[in-house]
Amino acid sequence: MKHDPALPPPAVRCDDIHKSFGTGEAKVEVLRGIDFTAAMGGMTFLVGPSGCGKTTLISVIAGLLEATSGKVELFGTEVAKLPSRDRILFRRKNLGFVFQQYNLLPSLSAAENAAVPLLAAGVPRKAALDKASQVLDRLGLGSRTRALPRILSGGQQQRVALARALVHEPRLVICDEPTAALDAESGHSVMELLSQTAVHPDRAVIVVSHDNRVFHFADRLAYMNDGSITKTETQAAWAA
Amino acid sequence: MIRLALDMLRADRAKFFAMILAVALSVFLMQNQAAILSSIMTMTGSQIRDVPAAGLWVMEPDTECFDQAKPVRDTALYRVRGTDGVDWAVPLLKVDAFARSENGKLTLAVILGVDDSSLVGLPPRVILGDAAAIRERDTCLIDPGGYSLLFPKEPYVLGKRIRIADTFLRIVGISDASPPFTGFPIIHATRSTAIPLNRGEGRNQTFILGQLKPGADAAAVCSSIESTTGLKARTAAQFTADSQNFYASQGVPMLFYIVIGIGLVVGAAITGQTFLMFVKENERHLSLMKVVGVTTPQMAGMLFCQAGLVVALGSCFGTGLASLTTTLSRTQPFLRGIYIPTYVAVATCAALAVVTAAAVLLALRNVQKLEPASVFRG
Repeated sequence: MKHDPALPPPAVRCDDIHKSFGTGEAKVEVLRGIDFTAAMGGMTFLVGPSGCGKTTLISVIAGLLEATSGKVELFGTEVAKLPSRDRILFRRKNLGFVFQQYNLLPSLSAAENAAVPLLAAGVPRKAALDKASQVLDRLGLGSRTRALPRILSGGQQQRVALARALVHEPRLVICDEPTAALDAESGHSVMELLSQTAVHPDRAVIVVSHDNRVFHFADRLAYMNDGSITKTETQAAWAA
Repeated sequence: MIRLALDMLRADRAKFFAMILAVALSVFLMQNQAAILSSIMTMTGSQIRDVPAAGLWVMEPDTECFDQAKPVRDTALYRVRGTDGVDWAVPLLKVDAFARSENGKLTLAVILGVDDSSLVGLPPRVILGDAAAIRERDTCLIDPGGYSLLFPKEPYVLGKRIRIADTFLRIVGISDASPPFTGFPIIHATRSTAIPLNRGEGRNQTFILGQLKPGADAAAVCSSIESTTGLKARTAAQFTADSQNFYASQGVPMLFYIVIGIGLVVGAAITGQTFLMFVKENERHLSLMKVVGVTTPQMAGMLFCQAGLVVALGSCFGTGLASLTTTLSRTQPFLRGIYIPTYVAVATCAALAVVTAAAVLLALRNVQKLEPASVFRG
């Protein structure tokens, strides 16, 4: 999935990424020379069977794991070369995450959960909660801002997680199997909201999924198998 | 982030209350035992502190504490009075004898015979009656503990009589004498009343109490008295410390130190373990925070705030409980001296804070080791 030099620089650029765990006979190579780009203003899907390395790849892209070799650039910055603290601050400012299991803090209300990235960045509590409430409102949860996660449905919890991923207006949103824990209707609804709210000319969205019911939301698809990207195609090609 | 940290802590109510309870019980145990130890060690100097007018105490050279006093020859008083730097000196007779009440109660008692003319040697206050009334022959003051031993459950009534060495003493006042270490009644009388009670001893004084002239050097005066009289001269503060050190050397404090240590270990173990478990169970949430950009100092701040709240609440409850028990103890006449010194309250809470801080540092080390990418695992 090489980037066309004629186009503006991509949001995410991975060159020959290798990642292995363990050493000696126990060594497992999970990523085997990945070349990958994700452009601004669209949703790029990483699809493939379980265990093919999708989650490892997004962990490397997010700077949560270090590649064994290769180079990852986010918005022209090689994040792995940043000092540890700067890497955290870069992630805080530029990245939003949506997880398969929502990962909401059970003791916090929907608004507080959504406000966590702002609070971590030092935004005053009231301003952070106001902003989080606005985003929740846009996602159809305006009346549930004070609700604790345990009384929200799976779809609602994923919308809170989506609000948390968007509240600080990051330039890259990474979604790991956002519909895997939801029924078809809720999954579709979450993906619709994701495409309506997350997709933005100044933002790239990477979605890891093996749920082919939602592939039609993708602008581009990258197929992974056994640690390699085997094929990339546009939405039009996939639809055809 | 602080508020979020506290919300996370309060949400796990079982662990939150377990940690507060552990700190509270530990603080209570340590404060209670430390307060008893401190109070009884303070009691070893009760009768010295009860005579604030006397800055100098002169005694036989081998006297190690107030309760162990030995008779002093009568002529020594004049030598002390004649020593440079001594403003005044008076005798004090201490007699240990059995006292029996009219209703047959019998107890060993400490009779302090004070100087007839100056009455130096009396405690500063009386609860009931008039201290000067002991100038009348065969009268005395008795402390509340002594009264309750000899006249159990009876209200304070003046005029009751006690028999000591075939002499009947009439109680003319209830003194506010500080509770003694030995727990025996403290009976104050004039020396002329006390001398006939001192059977078997040829000498009529046990201590010589005195005061320095203004500007006199205490060490030099004590040294001068010792060389002139061959006796031991100590300032009130030195004699109080001698008495405390004597009892401390008898091994009594060791038993309390053991219980105080157990309190600290139990508190540390429960609080530390529960806090570490709390962090362990929240690893996924802490990983999430790392992923969304919470820095290590922010994480440390959150953990320290959580621990701080636990220690603050636990210390308050523990101190409150310890204060309640010491206050209830003080309703007993012989336990009037039990109290929690400020330094004990501060030190015990600080000890728990240090232990909890150590648990936080351990937890923080585990948090640092957390792999943020684990948050992607289902």
